[in-house]
Amino acid sequence: MIAKPDLTQVERDKLEIDPDFDFREIARRPFEDITPNELAMFKWSGVYHQLQPAFFMIRVVTPGGLMTTKQFTRAVDLAEELAQGELCITTRQTLQFHWIRKEDIYKIIEGMAEVGITCKNGCGDVPRNIIGSSLAGVAPNAIGDSQKLIRMFADDDEIQNQRNLPRKHKISVAFANEAGAQTLMNCQGWVPVERDGVIGWKFHAGGGLGARPYLAKVIFDWVPEERVLDVARATVEAFRRHGDRRVRAFARLKVVVDRMGADPFADVLLDIMKEKGVQGLETIEKAASPVPAIGQLFLNGQEVIPQKQDGLSVVRVMIPRSELKTSESRTISKLADELGGGKVMFTNRQNVELHDVPNENVDALLEKLHEAGFRTDGHEHLPDIVACVGTTMCKMAVADSPDAYHRLYAALANDEAYWKTIGPLRINITGCPNNCAHAWIADIGLRGRRRRSEDDGSVEGYTILVGGKLSDAGRISEELCDVDTGEVAPAIRKILDTYLDNRQNENERFIDFCERIGTAQFKELLK
Amino acid sequence: MKQILEQANELIAAGQYEEAVDLLCRLGPPEGAEICELIAKAYRGRNYARGDVYTAKVFAGHALSYGSTDPEMQAIIDAAKRSDSPLTRPLEKPPCTMGGPKDKRPAVDAPYSFCALSKLNGKADAAKDFDWLEKNIPCQAACPASTDIPGYLDAIYRGEYEKAYRINLEDNVFPAVLGRVCARPCEAQCRHGWDDLGEPVAICFSKRSAADFGGQASVVLDKWFPDSGKKVAVIGAGPAGLAAARQLALLGHAVTVYEKHNKPGGMMNQGIPEFRLPRNIIEKEIGQITALGVEIVCNAAIGDNLQLSELTATHDAVVMAAGTLRPNLLNLPGKELDGIRHGLNFLLDVNENNSTDIGEHVVVIGGGFTAMDCARTARRLGATTVQVEEKLADKTAPGSILRMPKGNVKVWYRRSVDEMLVTPGELEELEHEHIPLETMVSPKAYIGENGNVTGMRFIRTEMGEPDASGRRRPVEVPGSEFEIQADTILLATGQFPDTEWIDDALKNELVEEDGWLKSGSACATANDKIFAAGDFAAGASSLIQAIGHAKECVREVDRFLMGKERLKDVAVIEDVEKTGRIREMDAVPLQPMPAIDLTRRDLTNEVETGFEQESAPDEAQRCYQCHYKFEIDNDKCIYCDWCVKAKPRPECILKLSKLNHNEDGTVADWEIARTQDDVNMVWVNQEDCIRCGACVAACPVDAISIQKVSLKTEPVK
Repeated sequence: MIAKPDLTQVERDKLEIDPDFDFREIARRPFEDITPNELAMFKWSGVYHQLQPAFFMIRVVTPGGLMTTKQFTRAVDLAEELAQGELCITTRQTLQFHWIRKEDIYKIIEGMAEVGITCKNGCGDVPRNIIGSSLAGVAPNAIGDSQKLIRMFADDDEIQNQRNLPRKHKISVAFANEAGAQTLMNCQGWVPVERDGVIGWKFHAGGGLGARPYLAKVIFDWVPEERVLDVARATVEAFRRHGDRRVRAFARLKVVVDRMGADPFADVLLDIMKEKGVQGLETIEKAASPVPAIGQLFLNGQEVIPQKQDGLSVVRVMIPRSELKTSESRTISKLADELGGGKVMFTNRQNVELHDVPNENVDALLEKLHEAGFRTDGHEHLPDIVACVGTTMCKMAVADSPDAYHRLYAALANDEAYWKTIGPLRINITGCPNNCAHAWIADIGLRGRRRRSEDDGSVEGYTILVGGKLSDAGRISEELCDVDTGEVAPAIRKILDTYLDNRQNENERFIDFCERIGTAQFKELLK
Repeated sequence: MKQILEQANELIAAGQYEEAVDLLCRLGPPEGAEICELIAKAYRGRNYARGDVYTAKVFAGHALSYGSTDPEMQAIIDAAKRSDSPLTRPLEKPPCTMGGPKDKRPAVDAPYSFCALSKLNGKADAAKDFDWLEKNIPCQAACPASTDIPGYLDAIYRGEYEKAYRINLEDNVFPAVLGRVCARPCEAQCRHGWDDLGEPVAICFSKRSAADFGGQASVVLDKWFPDSGKKVAVIGAGPAGLAAARQLALLGHAVTVYEKHNKPGGMMNQGIPEFRLPRNIIEKEIGQITALGVEIVCNAAIGDNLQLSELTATHDAVVMAAGTLRPNLLNLPGKELDGIRHGLNFLLDVNENNSTDIGEHVVVIGGGFTAMDCARTARRLGATTVQVEEKLADKTAPGSILRMPKGNVKVWYRRSVDEMLVTPGELEELEHEHIPLETMVSPKAYIGENGNVTGMRFIRTEMGEPDASGRRRPVEVPGSEFEIQADTILLATGQFPDTEWIDDALKNELVEEDGWLKSGSACATANDKIFAAGDFAAGASSLIQAIGHAKECVREVDRFLMGKERLKDVAVIEDVEKTGRIREMDAVPLQPMPAIDLTRRDLTNEVETGFEQESAPDEAQRCYQCHYKFEIDNDKCIYCDWCVKAKPRPECILKLSKLNHNEDGTVADWEIARTQDDVNMVWVNQEDCIRCGACVAACPVDAISIQKVSLKTEPVK
């Protein structure tokens, strides 16, 4: 007779501690009086203890990644005053403050709340910031209104008040069948489908990266728009019921869907909806095949993209290592007000887009941006490197990923001829297996590690992975080699040279090359 | 503010870096040259993680931007820089030789000195392998018969009772017997009973459940070797003699056991009361030995008609396993009085001769197994007058424990309870059966009238310094003498080997003047062909010790007979993907042993009734399964510390800068890494590991392997 599995300590704590802390009270409380479990539950309010014991990180929630300049300016002001003048753009299209003292946490939370930005559900075992492509609402080839879904999910109490899920829950909404919304690496991935002029949604579930990556499966081929919220809610409920609360490493929805299979999972959702009395379930179509077919990424190095709204454009700005210093932020905010539409969009490659720029302002805006030192070229190419904060500030990190970023950037990003020859290439550097920087789905992924030194101690380095993508059925990158930190730039150079020497022709992208030759052969070529 | 800056400076100088930063942060979000300078210096000093270097750099930069002129700031920034190095090594994924939970390892030598065992898989027999077994499976190491305890508890948990019984049978010869009356040295060592880990697993009772639920057919083991043509005589059909006979038979020798009593079993039959050990259990397990061809000749006291020297002449070897039948009598005034009996004789009378003579006021002197059995047996014999509480009166069966008034049997012991050598649970049963226990008293004299004992004089004692054996000696308290009434005194004060039966031809060679063997506790004697096993050699101990000693003895006998080592101990290493254990099993409470009501307790009704079929697996699943080895492949490990964060014990996973070994490859000691760069290996400290598997679940790169390591004794063919 097997012992009845009981809740783990983490799960018990999650039930006992009210995650809605009064951070004014926390500010007054001596640090030593805050229990470790309370500290862990700060995450539910977007507050994360930094690697440096005296400081905290705060992550805000910006559904879809869009902020008005008023909101952004408030963040910049708060960062200047309380966060060492620094903001960081995350891969889930939002902002993080670092270096926050315990006494100042409430000031950030309240300050952002005044401009309509919450930190609730910034981290923790909750539905996280809902993402889309940065072009949501403006893409010329958009089908339907992805922002409507994003808002609907973000505003839905039934979804957002799930404060004790087995683990985090991530939702993505695409503007069309294209890879920009990272559909396949989210717990829920919504992709619009048009049939005879009617917009419905194809529903994917069970994607997720972390240490053990899973690509999402198609659950429903067609969900009528009026049933989308029901399905999203049912998915959260299914996760709540079936997520493995005993082992956090296996708690996420990706494991539930993988263990259950796509079709049985669809039945679970239908049963939950039936239980809730949802009508019109017959209009939902189960997937004919669980294998996704996501279209190619629309974004491919464009600096300016004409919006679907006549006369307006998107101007794309690269933010090196996602670090926004106060002066840079103020410049962006000012330009967005003066020449753009007063909106700032954060992208999942940790850059910024200015939306609703009148076409007549585009050239002036580009000029001003370049004058201020911003780069607008190189997107989705070698210069467009994603990196997490690594061991600079994160407790989980193994390697100093910003350092690797800067080495690579310095060595390769300014050789325009070289990176243009290479073509589309996404390099993602993640400091630990949590994969916040998505090494699993990049063309080249670097994952921090240390290597035992024969003589003494250990040496920081990376495992280099290749061949990840989120289009078609998706592909998880595979381990190619290990390098020490000092070798990162020459190693990447060698890998890219090997690609250039062996690609079929200049139309064969790096990712196609990886798929064609396979990782084993790639290893051989490197020898 | 000036004061705070000074204080922070002092804290930094004293190495209290975190405190310094906390203090500086009290002034507000860090700003200004002086504060940033100090924070930079504090993190430079802390230098534990890479983040400290970074933070020092960030705040040094801030300090400079605030106008700091401290030259150290630029130095801190420069120190944080790391340079590129040319690519000198091939770009490849280094091989990981140890592997993770899903990998299958080849049976090759371990690649590194820090590997826990000498081989990656298969069979290993280096010093470090046996050292691992001894330190990691404490129950098995504590068992004199080296019983594979985790192995059979796992089988019970899986409901494989016959397998569990067989594992036991191979190791300790009498599973059903020992499942009831074993002294359980294993339980005292059980990892589950270590500090803060709860209570030890009920290993003994679990063993019984394997016998209870494992089918009632005889289990006859396969012999290791064909007939050797050698003849061995064993003297004494007690636990040691029978264990020796069984092992000899498995080795292919022809064995005859000579027993002076009318039936085999020795102390199992003659000493241990039936209410603790039903006789059919003994018979069945002896039957499994005779089924191997072992001949047992009863009523054959060597030294009477048949001499040891004759046996030696007619056999290739002789094993003396005659037990300890010479009672240790207290040399006190009044020792000639009637009513003073040695406990062993008393038990033999009751158990073998069905004698039920007992007085009304029984005093048992002693603090060991025999004392407990004497007291509980005497309690059951009772006097003719029955004084019971009314509500129980009609339930009182003839021979019931309740026939002796409470308090009329009493145990007296000269040391404290802590020094008593009794089976766990027996003191509780003593209390349960209303038998008072008086400790820290030492007998001084028997008191009598008309040749009969009427009482006993004691003196109170207190514990003094430890003696040579490590046990603290009782010291008499002057003036504390007192007398009590008694008509029967049972001496459970120890017994010695009786060597009187050894004929003169061999006596000089084998026996000391004091009656003990010259060879001490060794298995070999001065005569090549004669060996000694069990209590007869080692002195009075427990069944399991006698069996363990007999097994050792047989290996020596076999070596003598065959001229070579035919049995070999090996550590068998097997890959395991999952242990099947979940952490919650650690919280399953110790299962209580069901026992019959006091009113039904008599000389024959077994008191303990054994686990139910439902509770046996509940108890067995509490076992940590210490035979599992969790080990990190430090080539595969990325040093993320996730296992360290998931570990349940402070010392079970350590970040080491160095692991030092002894010459024989065993671990000598280790050095804890001070900074992240110093971490040479993340190491599972298996002695502290509770086999929960949290590290394996947490490891993001599957670098932690699980292997089962078992001690096996194998025939060398």
